[in-house]
Amino acid sequence: MKRYDLIVVGAGPSGLSAAIEAARCGLTVAVFDENAKPGGQLFKQIHKFFGSKEHQAKIRGYKIGETLLSEADAVGVKVFLNATVSGMYMDKEILVRRGDAMEHCKADAIIIATGASENMVTFDGWTLPGVIGAGAAQTMMNLYSIQPGQRVLMLGSGNVGLVVSFQLMQAGCEVIALVDASPRIGGYGVHASKIARCGVPFYLSHTITKAEGPDCITGVEISQVDDHFTPIPGTQKHFDVDTICMAVGLSPMSQLLKMAGCSMIDDPRRGGQVPLVDENGETSIPGIFAAGDVSGIEEASSAMIEGRMSGLSAAAYLGFLSEKDKDSSLNELEVALNSLHQGMFAPGSKGKAFTKTDEGIAVSQSLLKKGYLDEADIARFNHFDKKSGVHPVIECTQNIPCNPCQDACPKDCIKIGKTITALPRIDADSTCTGCGMCVASCSGQAIFLVDEDYEPGYASITLPYEFLPRPQKGDLGTALSRSGQPLGVAEIIDVRSAKAFDHTTLVTMKVPVAQAMTARFYKREAQRAEL
Amino acid sequence: MNRISEHPILGNTEMGRKVAFFMDGKQMEGYEGEPIAVALKAGGVMIHRYTQKNHEPRGIFCAIGRCTDCVMIVDGVPNIRTCITPLVSGMRIQTQDGVTALEVTE
Amino acid sequence: MKSINDRSQDIGPFVSQTDDGVIICRCEEITKGEIRQAIHDGMFTVNEIRRYLRSGMGLCQGQTCGRLVKNIVVQELDVIPAQLDPATSRSPMRPVEMKVLGNEEVTHV
Repeated sequence: MKRYDLIVVGAGPSGLSAAIEAARCGLTVAVFDENAKPGGQLFKQIHKFFGSKEHQAKIRGYKIGETLLSEADAVGVKVFLNATVSGMYMDKEILVRRGDAMEHCKADAIIIATGASENMVTFDGWTLPGVIGAGAAQTMMNLYSIQPGQRVLMLGSGNVGLVVSFQLMQAGCEVIALVDASPRIGGYGVHASKIARCGVPFYLSHTITKAEGPDCITGVEISQVDDHFTPIPGTQKHFDVDTICMAVGLSPMSQLLKMAGCSMIDDPRRGGQVPLVDENGETSIPGIFAAGDVSGIEEASSAMIEGRMSGLSAAAYLGFLSEKDKDSSLNELEVALNSLHQGMFAPGSKGKAFTKTDEGIAVSQSLLKKGYLDEADIARFNHFDKKSGVHPVIECTQNIPCNPCQDACPKDCIKIGKTITALPRIDADSTCTGCGMCVASCSGQAIFLVDEDYEPGYASITLPYEFLPRPQKGDLGTALSRSGQPLGVAEIIDVRSAKAFDHTTLVTMKVPVAQAMTARFYKREAQRAEL
Repeated sequence: MNRISEHPILGNTEMGRKVAFFMDGKQMEGYEGEPIAVALKAGGVMIHRYTQKNHEPRGIFCAIGRCTDCVMIVDGVPNIRTCITPLVSGMRIQTQDGVTALEVTE
Repeated sequence: MKSINDRSQDIGPFVSQTDDGVIICRCEEITKGEIRQAIHDGMFTVNEIRRYLRSGMGLCQGQTCGRLVKNIVVQELDVIPAQLDPATSRSPMRPVEMKVLGNEEVTHV
């Protein structure tokens, strides 16, 4: 039997972060992961992360994964892949399957970072080929470069459903509709708006009542639901689709902790059965820790901090780190974690309906129900004296933990302040140069540059664009509204790509000045016939 | 074709070596090392198996080896999770029927 | 609070529902109706239902249906989820062939 100072189960964001911190303190660390590739779900996350600098905001998930792997390698963490931990016992012993053999390993401390599994909902025909989990869609398109389907219906409007819908479109698939039984969109409004402006309709208070097809999916039937989530007869709608994608939440994969004898609780706010842990992730069994989604469903950003906290705690538990050093490092991490736990989407706010932002501005109901800001809403959030020339328009209207736009502007036009959930404000005294750094840095793609005085009668709008083919200067196409409705002809007057933009192309289009505050997306001319 | 050759964020896709394999006796092509399920999907195969009790079709569901819905008979061995098993040149894949191979009339 | 283990409680007669035919356990092909019937047969815990019907005992080991079965029991018995323990977790957690399970590696990693 092999012995280590620390065994980490799971090589995702929290497991790797934990292993890195512990190895830096001098522990011999082995990480076991049942998958063939490390990184957990990070390598499927191709969007820019939220948060602030310390949370690696505006960096795409797969890049964060690459950094974690090279860090782990540099500090001597051993990562065993295709190594399925099949059992864990009270005295910190695990049973691992590797290849055609079983192996027992022991450690003085164990960190469980096994993540989560996808929840599913059932409906008539849900076992047919073509009904898949959102994770499956991400795996297929972002890891193995294959489209999950041509015409996809997404069930679930949480961040996973919204982000994966956008990724499906980036992969060249058509998202037919986004459906959720809840009367409100569950994820960030900015994620919803990215999809809405491409013309994807949202069906809130709806659910799937039937998946159709003889031996694989050819269509889907959705129905409106009442206050008790029961389908209302006569409200059925049909769509021709070849794929139904489910993004209806995650459950902690906490079986190993339970089997080892850790005290467990059922906590709906954390996603289900989770271990009882202290603020550093230590379970009821001293020396056994839990970090990341396994101790409560959150984002990868918080999983990485939790991982680091548990890694440091394990190091201190084994005497590799003085209590004093532990406390100072942990305090810093706790501040970073707390800053992610603020705002409308904080774990403690799950299910709460906010009517006002922290700033006291009425929340856009249109954003919650249709996925886009109503024109009347915009004025409430962008109340500054309009100056002549180019200026940013920030359509970020919910208190979410994110602030890269503040750092992006070289002229300090954008202010958020210390509380990273505060809404960005535009400083009227600073002068925008139109560099576009804020547009590219906004993980929610919610910043636009508008110049009402571009030409007499015409305005220019610069928007973030992450699809192929990229528009070319001189192209004529259609300007789309926030809801994806065609507004009229738009001419592409500038297309900018830069390393600093990280694959986000800045597209500038010319539209009649009357559309300066309504046109927010662009569709190529070739697709006009479909509109 | 449902392969993504160029992606706005991930760029151009690098594929492994093109190899031939057999699906229910019929020759197909895929890329070495990619999951069997991906090669099958690229070739339009949606049904991986029929269930034992109700004889219902199943295919890819979780794509990460958890749900075991995509299992097939690979080189004579049943219950192989095709979404996490790498494709090897010359592999013989068969639609699973219950726990045995589906009889295919050619 | 009602106790899961109060076997004398009257949970009423089994009344069929329109979605009773929907598969819950994909591996063992157990329907919602079968699970509800099992509850009326006196199987009140997830473990009992698992042994009675084999739901969650197939290849995937309850990965997908664990939560679904629990929700059905919660509704049928009208209890809160926290009152109902999920199925027992024990090694091996993932399906493994007997020949592999019996092949204990003694050399060092």
